[in-house]
Amino acid sequence: MTLRNNTQTWGSMSIALHWLTLILIIGLAVVGSNMDDLPNGPQKIQVYALHKSTGLTVLALTIIRLVWRMFSITPANVDNTPAWQAMIAKLVHGLLYLLLFAMPITGWLYNSAAGFPLKYFGLFSLPKLSGYNPELKALAGEAHETIFYVLALLMLLHAGAALKHHYLDKDNTLTRMLPWLANKPRG
Amino acid sequence: MRALVLLIALYSGNVFSADYAQQAGSSLGFTGSYQGETFHGSFSKFNSSIRFDPAKLAESRFDVRITLASANTKNAERDEMLVGSEFFNAAAQPEARYTASKFRALGKNRFIADGILSLRGVSKSVPLTFSWTPGARPQLQGTAKVQRLDFKVGIGDWDDLELIPNVVTVNTQLLLSPVATPSAKIKPATTKP
Repeated sequence: MTLRNNTQTWGSMSIALHWLTLILIIGLAVVGSNMDDLPNGPQKIQVYALHKSTGLTVLALTIIRLVWRMFSITPANVDNTPAWQAMIAKLVHGLLYLLLFAMPITGWLYNSAAGFPLKYFGLFSLPKLSGYNPELKALAGEAHETIFYVLALLMLLHAGAALKHHYLDKDNTLTRMLPWLANKPRG
Repeated sequence: MRALVLLIALYSGNVFSADYAQQAGSSLGFTGSYQGETFHGSFSKFNSSIRFDPAKLAESRFDVRITLASANTKNAERDEMLVGSEFFNAAAQPEARYTASKFRALGKNRFIADGILSLRGVSKSVPLTFSWTPGARPQLQGTAKVQRLDFKVGIGDWDDLELIPNVVTVNTQLLLSPVATPSAKIKPATTKP
């Protein structure tokens, strides 16, 4: 496997960024959906701080991914992909990238409007996107939650399409993003 | 005529000439640190009775009452926590009080009040350094350092000094005007920061 993509398959950089993002998002979703119920205390602050830093990591990874995508080849769709499928795939990929930005940005905005500090894993402080603003805080909080559900839905659609390619079409759409699956017998 | 002046002088002799109440525009703020970031807060409700004459320090008196629930740090979650049982415990003891009767002159209109802060059931000496701008409506600008854990503000898991350091700096600016009848009870004044 090469670092860079080619017309046929994804390189290791794109593959690593893709799966690392997924792992982080699952962690963010599990922690993010439950952290509000924690009893007030320094531990809750630590959990929130971890959620914020992980979200910022996804933001950074998404920027790297987009830059990498811009300067590298994107593998072509498998042969004989119907035009409507290609169009929907392009749309879903575009929306996924958009939401991968919108999630951390709305979280950051929510944090700023609520008046909380923002430190990246305790290493350095990040600027506030707004001053203390209860209305904006409520708005950003709602957006953060709603966008999460839309993102989860799109991710399911994205994963469902990959599984359809793998099990029904029996093409290499999934295995070129998940190479260690390629050597296993196909189901 | 001379007798009348003398009479007034005698009559007012037992009245201290330097009793003041705070006016709108006065402020009482505090600065602390939280998660490594400085934050500012203020009390919108507090009431100061100030008797002060730089020439009569021995007779000077401060009495400041602070409504703890009026604390505002521009963070709804933090403000809620601040009045709660682990911090100010305002439900049990709604007021903090600062009284001073010992004063030292530092020169150039600067003084130290060796006062007592009563907060959350603890009374402890907290020196207040202040400047006094004399006049018909004098101004007092003061600062004090309060060790929050001395007053059990932020107990339990909150005594982590890395998360919330011990020192909280209190700043106040009092715009004062003379009180006509110092013996009368002064109504609590509300000022907005």
